Amino acid sequence: MSDFWWDVIDPVQSVLDGMMFGSIYALIGIGFTLIFGVMHRINLAYAAASIGGAYASLAAFQLLSAPAIVVFLCAAAASGVIGYLVYICCFRFIPTVMPLATLMASVGMLILIDEVVVHATAGMPEPYPAMFDDVMIDLDPFWVRGDLLMIFALSVVAMLILLYVLYRTRLGIATRAVAQQPSAAQLCGIGQERTNAATFVITGTLGGLAGAMVGASVGILSPLLALPLTVKGLIVTVIGGLGSIPGAIVAGILVGGFENVFQYFRGVTERDIYVMLLLFVFLTFRPQGLFGRISSRD
Amino acid sequence: MKRLLTIAAAVGVAMSVGTVADAADRTVKIAGFGAMSGVVRSFGINTEAVLRAAAKAINDAGGVKLADGSMAPIEVSFDDDRCNAEEGISVVRRLASGDAVVGVGPTCSNVAEPLFGILQAKAGDEGDSGLQFPIFTDTAIKGGLAKISEWAFRNVPNESQMYKSLFEWLATQHPDAKSVYGGVEEDFAHSRFTWYKVMKTRSADAGYEVKGESKWLLNDTNFTTQVREMKRAGADIISISAHPFTTCGVLKEMARQRVKYKVLVGLTSSSSLETLNGCAKQAEGIIIPTSFAPVNPDAVAAADAAAALGGSADLHSAAAWEIMMILKDVIEAAGIQATADSVQADRRAIRDGLASLKTTKGLLGEIQRTAEGEAVKPYVYVHAADGSWAVLHDPNA
Repeated sequence: MSDFWWDVIDPVQSVLDGMMFGSIYALIGIGFTLIFGVMHRINLAYAAASIGGAYASLAAFQLLSAPAIVVFLCAAAASGVIGYLVYICCFRFIPTVMPLATLMASVGMLILIDEVVVHATAGMPEPYPAMFDDVMIDLDPFWVRGDLLMIFALSVVAMLILLYVLYRTRLGIATRAVAQQPSAAQLCGIGQERTNAATFVITGTLGGLAGAMVGASVGILSPLLALPLTVKGLIVTVIGGLGSIPGAIVAGILVGGFENVFQYFRGVTERDIYVMLLLFVFLTFRPQGLFGRISSRD
Repeated sequence: MKRLLTIAAAVGVAMSVGTVADAADRTVKIAGFGAMSGVVRSFGINTEAVLRAAAKAINDAGGVKLADGSMAPIEVSFDDDRCNAEEGISVVRRLASGDAVVGVGPTCSNVAEPLFGILQAKAGDEGDSGLQFPIFTDTAIKGGLAKISEWAFRNVPNESQMYKSLFEWLATQHPDAKSVYGGVEEDFAHSRFTWYKVMKTRSADAGYEVKGESKWLLNDTNFTTQVREMKRAGADIISISAHPFTTCGVLKEMARQRVKYKVLVGLTSSSSLETLNGCAKQAEGIIIPTSFAPVNPDAVAAADAAAALGGSADLHSAAAWEIMMILKDVIEAAGIQATADSVQADRRAIRDGLASLKTTKGLLGEIQRTAEGEAVKPYVYVHAADGSWAVLHDPNA
């Protein structure tokens, strides 16, 4: 194949890879956006809790030699528990009139989770199981990584389950009610604190899956992952529109794709500059993001 | 007369007991520091374990001889600089105001560079108010840092020489390999320096065509684009200058994309347990020059002693063992007092002693010392074989 064709194929392939990987950003973005939607608070410890859950699931892998799918489910469960602890420590008892306090508490929790992981593992990268990591689907001239396709599919399934929970169950109705009109929801007998706690557990579970997907896609886990995932999750949340789940999904995939495009054309050192510029463009010209609403609640 | 002799004897005994007690009270305080938190925590853990193991070995053999001929034990402390320049400077300022006679560290080059900048540049320069505290570095490996200050010394491998020798050796072993392609962790000082200033230039010097390099960042997770560039270049030798986390990520992606190569070369820092822990299968065959491998009884003993204290002796931490042995010799030759009043004089004597060294004993053989405070250490080439590091070639043999 001539160099010309490679120059055409390579950027397209990069976008495809980026979009697949972007499904992980979408999962993280959903967590941020759901908590924001319900509580109007940003939980900066969310991505760290996701990675913490993935680390916790390593016990199932290392001690019980459990298959990858079981390890992923363990990550989701562990992260759900961590999510609940984050809620108790950083949000439950801090008055809602002090948003900065909850923000700083979640920053502290981010650092705490990171350091716990570092101390438990001495910062050593730990191998993480993957599914279909040696499968390459050849669509000449393009190809798709089997593990990324699986991650993409798993992420889509997780998002569909979440949407089902939100729109077809009593818990989902309660969650949306608290997100839209907390006072009215309380008057209707919906327990605000219970709903908030449930939101943290649900998003934590989703985050644990995302943490597991990151570990699976790289093949190893490192505490280095928490901070970049936090930044990417926030970017996705803002671009998608604060509080919008479809927005987080679309923005996650878009950010993943754009990231690879910028990297292909401008190099890895400039990649994040352009991703940040994209964020600024949205903040300036469309602050409500792709799907967010400008109107406020209550 | 007899009574007088008895009193004199009693006084003599009392004085000698007093002297013994004084000597027993005196300790030679050596302050280790490095990364004990964050993602490079394992480096600090290993260095601390090796420092304590070496101190134990010295103390078990009687300790260090002081200027008055008495023996004093070595006392090691270890502080966390979090691989952060401000933290490292703060730690060393604190140590310099205490009674440690020498500092051993830091882990990270981004700490070492500014840290050496706060030391007095030229020893004895009264116009320079920089710290007069000798620092002996075991891990921070970025080239040429010790020349910043005459109080800074390093016992880190000379990567330039190691990779020069490695690429020349590869040319003889793989005459069919003609080209090199690099992979570099662009935002990490050591990785960047080693690719651009060492691997790239040394491979070109050895006659290889350098076809370019793929770049990624320390905490990247997606390497598909970079590995496609690598595959497209079609080089015979892939030379990766990155730390274990991204090295493993890239090696796994190379396996997925079925990148073909004849030889795989890695960064010195990757010849560690971390790489094997993260991706032993994909790293199989990777060749790395290293200044430490347990290939002789001394090296094995050092590795065992470190392991007994929960550490692992690798090319970085094993340097701390050598440093302790060098310091013991220097302290004994310089004749320090190890008293509260002699701290600054002892530091100066140790600095001067270190500066005057031309050669020292190392775990793999004799280490040359340069006028700029750097070391030229013996080394071997190791490769990953069956999930562990094995010596592939010993250029000194």
